[in-house]
Amino acid sequence: MLKLDKLTRRFGDNLAVNNANLTIPDGQMVGIIGRSGAGKSTLLRLLNRLIDPSEGQILFGDHDIARLKGKELRAWRSDCAMIFQQFNLVGRLDVVTNVLTGRLHDMTAWRTVAQVFTPRERAFAIQALDRLGMAHTALQRAETLSGGQQQRVAIARALAQEPKILLADEPIASLDPMNAKVVMDALRDINRQDGITVICNLHTLDTARSYCDRIIGMQDGRVVFDGTPDQLTNSMAREIYGAEADEAFNEAATSTSIPTSEPAPARVPA
Amino acid sequence: MRMASIDTVDDGQIAAVRATHPGAFRTGRDGLRKWAPWVIAIAYVIGSLIYFDVHLLFQASERALRLLRAMVVWEDMANWQYANIYKGIAQTLAMAFLGTLLGTIGSLFVGFLAAKNVMPIRVVRQMVRRFLDILRGIDQLVWGLVFVRAVGLGPLAGVLAIFISDLGTLSKLYSEAIENIDRKQVEGVRATGAGPFAVIRYGYLPQVLPVFISQSLYFWESNTRSATILGIVGAGGIGMILIERFRAQLYDQVFFVVLNVLVIIFAIDWLSKRIRLWAIGEKSH
Amino acid sequence: MTDIPMRGGSAGASGDAPFDAVATFERHRAELKASKRVWNLLALGAFTIALGLSIWISQFYPERLAEGVPRIFEYFGTIMPDLQWDRLFEGRDAQGNAVPGSIIFWYTDFWTYVELLWETILMAITASLLGTAVAFVLSFPAAANLAPNGWVYWFSRRFLEFCRGVPEILLALVFVFAIGIGPLAGVLAIAIHTAGALGKLFAEVNENASDRPVEGITAVGGSWTEKMLYGVVPQVMPNFFSYAMLRFEINVRASSIIGFVGAGGIGAELNRVISFYSDDRVLAVLILVILMVTIIDLISEDIRHRFIGKENF
Repeated sequence: MLKLDKLTRRFGDNLAVNNANLTIPDGQMVGIIGRSGAGKSTLLRLLNRLIDPSEGQILFGDHDIARLKGKELRAWRSDCAMIFQQFNLVGRLDVVTNVLTGRLHDMTAWRTVAQVFTPRERAFAIQALDRLGMAHTALQRAETLSGGQQQRVAIARALAQEPKILLADEPIASLDPMNAKVVMDALRDINRQDGITVICNLHTLDTARSYCDRIIGMQDGRVVFDGTPDQLTNSMAREIYGAEADEAFNEAATSTSIPTSEPAPARVPA
Repeated sequence: MRMASIDTVDDGQIAAVRATHPGAFRTGRDGLRKWAPWVIAIAYVIGSLIYFDVHLLFQASERALRLLRAMVVWEDMANWQYANIYKGIAQTLAMAFLGTLLGTIGSLFVGFLAAKNVMPIRVVRQMVRRFLDILRGIDQLVWGLVFVRAVGLGPLAGVLAIFISDLGTLSKLYSEAIENIDRKQVEGVRATGAGPFAVIRYGYLPQVLPVFISQSLYFWESNTRSATILGIVGAGGIGMILIERFRAQLYDQVFFVVLNVLVIIFAIDWLSKRIRLWAIGEKSH
Repeated sequence: MTDIPMRGGSAGASGDAPFDAVATFERHRAELKASKRVWNLLALGAFTIALGLSIWISQFYPERLAEGVPRIFEYFGTIMPDLQWDRLFEGRDAQGNAVPGSIIFWYTDFWTYVELLWETILMAITASLLGTAVAFVLSFPAAANLAPNGWVYWFSRRFLEFCRGVPEILLALVFVFAIGIGPLAGVLAIAIHTAGALGKLFAEVNENASDRPVEGITAVGGSWTEKMLYGVVPQVMPNFFSYAMLRFEINVRASSIIGFVGAGGIGAELNRVISFYSDDRVLAVLILVILMVTIIDLISEDIRHRFIGKENF
């Protein structure tokens, strides 16, 4: 269980995250919504310490993530995987090596320097890719893939870490609707079948409504809504989004609202 | 399908994956191809160092320490003849500046002559290139000697040495930059109906100018350093004083001069950055 | 101009939008030009002063040039070998002496030269490998965006600057003094200079690398070394290789003259024939040196292009 206690992050005078108090039980799929600059990205990056908090605690089990340093911090980052809007893969390396970097933390020093991976690790990486339907690209350079494909490789990398929590920072913002659906389906699949807690920042409302168990709305750094999708009324949503409401709100034109002729299968197709 | 933990990936599963995706696994040949260059390189370095009597390095500690001590303990500072030192430094700076300037101007002309897209006549291009090869093949120091024979001792020989050796290298770099331009930009300008001068001014120049300026500035700094040496062969600058004082075992003065040179090079480096920013809006090449 | 109606939602548009926008633009442009003009004039002034001083200090006067240029050709005349057509290809005579006027006479010391050239090339390779290794390692702490902390960055940069700033010949002199005459002094001097020069270039390449892959490796729990090796190195490798090969070409030239101060290679021989006025031998040695340098340049260029070609499939 992840507990945020009075979590705050200040940039100069600007309170990017203002006194966030949240409890997220294991296995939940959470969507964070809000307009640009509302603090969604900062909040997420506080969780894996890509950004350090100014005040407050982040409790997972007995540990305060906010206080971790050195090896323990890296261990936490290995347990708390993240996927990014820009994928953050290593372009010139091939896909399977990219996925294998998810295992870096568990490898001994000389093996990481020499890039020597065991057959077991390799098999595991291929299995992860296979689950995302990307195993056929294993030997291609990551930069040769399309956006949607790269994001799936990034998810495979996250899986290779065997994480307890998966953070997704605007994972579909750079993708076309078809790929966005594939990626969100994969995240939901991971959440349902592996029991991994998934926390995503989402740009559009309908995605949050269709995929997440719980929605958190942020505005100017504060948590202004915390509840189920049903509890989020249209007027509340409008207020959260403010001036961007028209863009985020146009349900017909947002990323994951493509009508499909059959229900999404449990296994993502290649 | 739930992912098993890596610990439960047994040999059976490994074999299954290996069957469907053999390329993802390392073979003996892959290992060889990966490690062979490293092994060869390390073996070569060790071997050549032994060939070059590397043990001398470890026997040298006493002399080296003596030298270091002499360098940092400054004695008799009043009699160091600062006038000569700073005159030499001024000569060095003058030589580097003028030599680089002349080299740049010369290379602008020769560079175009050696570029495929500007000089279509193959014979001329090849001749120019061989000529540049010769200019480049002879080190700046040797040119210094040659020009000392021709125009006598002093900084004039140094300027010419820098000019000629820069001509050889900069022309090649410029011609490569000219050949690497994006044709589409030039065509775009031509398509507006512009005459040949306008095409050069707006099509070619914006693409090659950053490289020209960047390379010249880099050479200016490099030449300032090599100009300090040219004095060794009598071509002006601080080099002669350096050698004299070194041979006279006045190592503290040598160190002093070197420090001055380092400061100057640092200043020129800073200046180049500013000039680069001013001229092309970029901080480095 | 006012008969083209400008529509569309531009920020700050008012009733007579088109006219205002153009006027504002023109005003801004004039201001920009004016301020640039001041800087440009200052720069031009500084440049002219520097030019004037340089010409005066180095006495770069037309009369001296006019005197000197013919003497250059004179010098080239003196170093021409004394070859005679009818004796060009004559072998050694009965006593084993070479015949004056033949190529063999001109290149009496041919095998000495070859041996020294071989030593020169080996020196260059060893120095380049050593220097590149040091440069590679230091290029990461010396990159502002990658260094683990400020001190490490500062020290790495200063160290690299020192290695690069001290002239190679001077380093060679010091090493010759410390460990004696011979190629080792040259190798060490050139290696140190290579570490500095290449280290600075590598660091600049590192600073221009994208930080996205690095952030990716941070997020999977990678250490600083892993971030560098997996996040940065794959991006910068082609550039590093290219710069390293170019530096090798330069080092071959450096190795060929470092012998001037006794640090090995063909330099000592070259210095000897020039100082002892064995003028025809000067050309003999120079031709071989130029050939060696040109061949190595061509091989290096080929390797560089192959590497880049492989990179781009």
